[in-house]
Amino acid sequence: MAARRKRRTAASKAQAEFVSEAEEILERMRNDFGLLAESLVGSGEADPEIVNSLFRSAHSLKGLSGMFGQEAMSELAHHLEDILDRLRMGRATLDRRALGLFDESVTLSAAALEKVGDEDAAEGLAETIADLIGRIEQWNDAPEASRGEGPDVDLPDSILRALTEYEEHRLHANVAQGRGIYLVDATFEIAAFEDGLQEIQGAIREVGEVLSTLPSPSGAPGSQIRFSLLTAADLPPDTLRERLELAPDAMTIARLPEGLAPESASADAPDVSDQPARDASAPAAPDETLKSISDTVRVDIRKLDELMNLVGELAIQRSALSQIANRLAQDPATSRVGQDLVKVQKTLERKLQELQGSVLDVRMVPLRQVFDKLTRVVRRLRLDQEKEVRLEIRGADTELDKLIVEELVDPLMHVVRNAFDHAIEPVAEREAAGKPAEGCIQVVASQRGNDVLISVSDDGRGIDVEKVRRRAIEVGLVSEETELGRSDILDLIFHPGLSTREEVTETSGRGVGMDVVRSNIGALGGLVDVKSEEGRGSTITIMLPITLAIIRALIVGVGPHRFAVPLNSIRETLLLDPDQLQRTEGRELMNLRGDALPLRRLDDEFRLGLEEPDKAYVVVLGVGDARLGLIVDRLEGQQDTVIKPIQGPVATVRGVAGATELGDGGAVLVLDVSALVEDVVRKGELRE
Amino acid sequence: MSEAAAETWDGLARAAAAPGGAEQAELVRELLCFTVDGDPYAVPVERIREIVRLKSITEVPRVPDEILGIISLRGEVVQVLDLRLRLGVPATELTRTHRIVVLHGDEGEVTGLLVDTVSEVLRVEEASVQPPATGDSEFVAALCRRGDHFVGLLNLEKVLDLG
Repeated sequence: MAARRKRRTAASKAQAEFVSEAEEILERMRNDFGLLAESLVGSGEADPEIVNSLFRSAHSLKGLSGMFGQEAMSELAHHLEDILDRLRMGRATLDRRALGLFDESVTLSAAALEKVGDEDAAEGLAETIADLIGRIEQWNDAPEASRGEGPDVDLPDSILRALTEYEEHRLHANVAQGRGIYLVDATFEIAAFEDGLQEIQGAIREVGEVLSTLPSPSGAPGSQIRFSLLTAADLPPDTLRERLELAPDAMTIARLPEGLAPESASADAPDVSDQPARDASAPAAPDETLKSISDTVRVDIRKLDELMNLVGELAIQRSALSQIANRLAQDPATSRVGQDLVKVQKTLERKLQELQGSVLDVRMVPLRQVFDKLTRVVRRLRLDQEKEVRLEIRGADTELDKLIVEELVDPLMHVVRNAFDHAIEPVAEREAAGKPAEGCIQVVASQRGNDVLISVSDDGRGIDVEKVRRRAIEVGLVSEETELGRSDILDLIFHPGLSTREEVTETSGRGVGMDVVRSNIGALGGLVDVKSEEGRGSTITIMLPITLAIIRALIVGVGPHRFAVPLNSIRETLLLDPDQLQRTEGRELMNLRGDALPLRRLDDEFRLGLEEPDKAYVVVLGVGDARLGLIVDRLEGQQDTVIKPIQGPVATVRGVAGATELGDGGAVLVLDVSALVEDVVRKGELRE
Repeated sequence: MSEAAAETWDGLARAAAAPGGAEQAELVRELLCFTVDGDPYAVPVERIREIVRLKSITEVPRVPDEILGIISLRGEVVQVLDLRLRLGVPATELTRTHRIVVLHGDEGEVTGLLVDTVSEVLRVEEASVQPPATGDSEFVAALCRRGDHFVGLLNLEKVLDLG
């Protein structure tokens, strides 16, 4: 049985890898199709770089799915590759029908990917895929668009020979459009050539097209590598040279149409065919240097979890060791060896922390992947609706734990859709209010210590506080008489079942409200807050810990029990002054610098059945603007903790986020602060 | 129910339901036997991950009484179910003979079961398995003969379902 399970895991591991890689490709394709559709709408012409990138993606998908026996998907990718190949070769023209087919192919592939491993469901899809392939073939049968032969170019044979069919086609297409053709030379240090190359390719793309990048074998010292970039641009040579910040001899002209030639240009245009240095077909080229450049490894995040667990266990062993060392050091008979041991374990501790840091670092990914999704959503919404909205993104390089990033997609998407749908006004309304016709949604991410802040701001109509209050009264959330501060009312939008709009539109997230956003973010150990100014717009701020793997926690004691409280939700801790303690309706509260702070005893919340201690502390917890004081007997210090899920028959315990191990090997419950605060503050009473 | 467990149970249940089919059933099952309040019970060894001595158990609030608390098992945190309470027997003081039988399913789900003493691994032929003596057995799926006595084979899915 063990063997069977092992086999199954090996197979499912390979499968998981396949799915994740295919997902990545589809993601890229979806992105590219979006850009393609946009470029088509914008310029009426398909951007060749995007078509080519799509072609490469389809090709990879074909190979990958073929390798994993996903024949239907592979077949579909193959047909997609066909269309894209004809498009990039200029043998077909991109039309709406083709775009529709692309869209369907990606959606269907994604659906098929979800069904991998479920043969019945896959069979159900096979028919749909076959039908789509049929329609692709029909499209493909359409007569070939005529392919104009471009005029000859003044390039050495060695370069022309090195061009692929596609590159040759692009060369001709550019010549036909009357662009200048240039050869740009660039030399880089081998160690960092990828960055340098990307930079110059990017610069060229801003003004034209990189037709081909050819390694140039000679002329570079040992630690350097030289490339020739065959470039097409609608600029005269001097301007291009300037734009690319090139040395005068780093560029040669292969073809200069009359429109681009300055009066004196002919004199400094050297004859390219005399330049033997650019013989791209010569051998020496960069085989041995290219080999070891791409040194990334794909890792299943669960493996990192295992690694993290091991590090955590080592840390626990280390603290046991430290106790022994201290005991030895205090005993006169063994004090010398004890002191040595103390020193060794200090070093061990430092090294363990470094190890922990490195493992954490591996889990970090930039927020860019989530933000890219937002860009696409807004782009689609803009096509569907009569609204002008610009999405501005800053801080996409901010890094977060991979697991958090994945869980962040839905809530963030929802917030942005809400902003688009409800906050930004129609053009006419904006203009009437004296605002620019184009609305703006800003998504900004930044790191603050061990937290990441993500804010989504819009310049829309803002939240109508009075409307929210009336609605809250309507649904019986608060009474007519309840006096609520502005921030209290704003906070109500996170309450289940409260939406200022009665009808739920498709784009507002299918009725999923801000309460789900808050609970999703809460589950990640994060906080959500809202600020809004009527007529000026709103800002939703999400604060998240950088990683879930390790959190800093305060260990508190209540009777014989200990609990861990995540430090990021603690605002302050106080010694409880019995004189400050008051009661209303049997509930304890205290005056905290003029504000009424509701108090709760863990003893009561968890029915621990303890006696009241002589001395107590108040741990002030904060979720957004809501505050709750937790009364505990002892504060036992801070500790880095790894939160573990609790396994067993009882799936979840309200108020408990998980458990963690402390140095002495015992398990300690980690409090779910947002649940505790929510139970007390939101359900019970709203503060004055 | 997990696939592996289902196979075991199917075999046992078939044998229990049809004693006449004994001649074809030469399959031997290994069961771990333990006692609760002096009574013998058993679970298939395939479901056992390990057996651990009592260690410090952390109480968990807001859970049914049967959940004694949680233990930490080399990096995993696992709930411990008091089998006494689950079977309707009053709890006792914890002694040195108490053991936590750590069970696992095919999906990797883990639970600890607190028993009074672990006695032995019993090899039984499916033929020796009978249906429970009465129809109202809640947690016993079948009875296995051991000498003159019967061992109650637990229906773990029911025992662990506190929902």
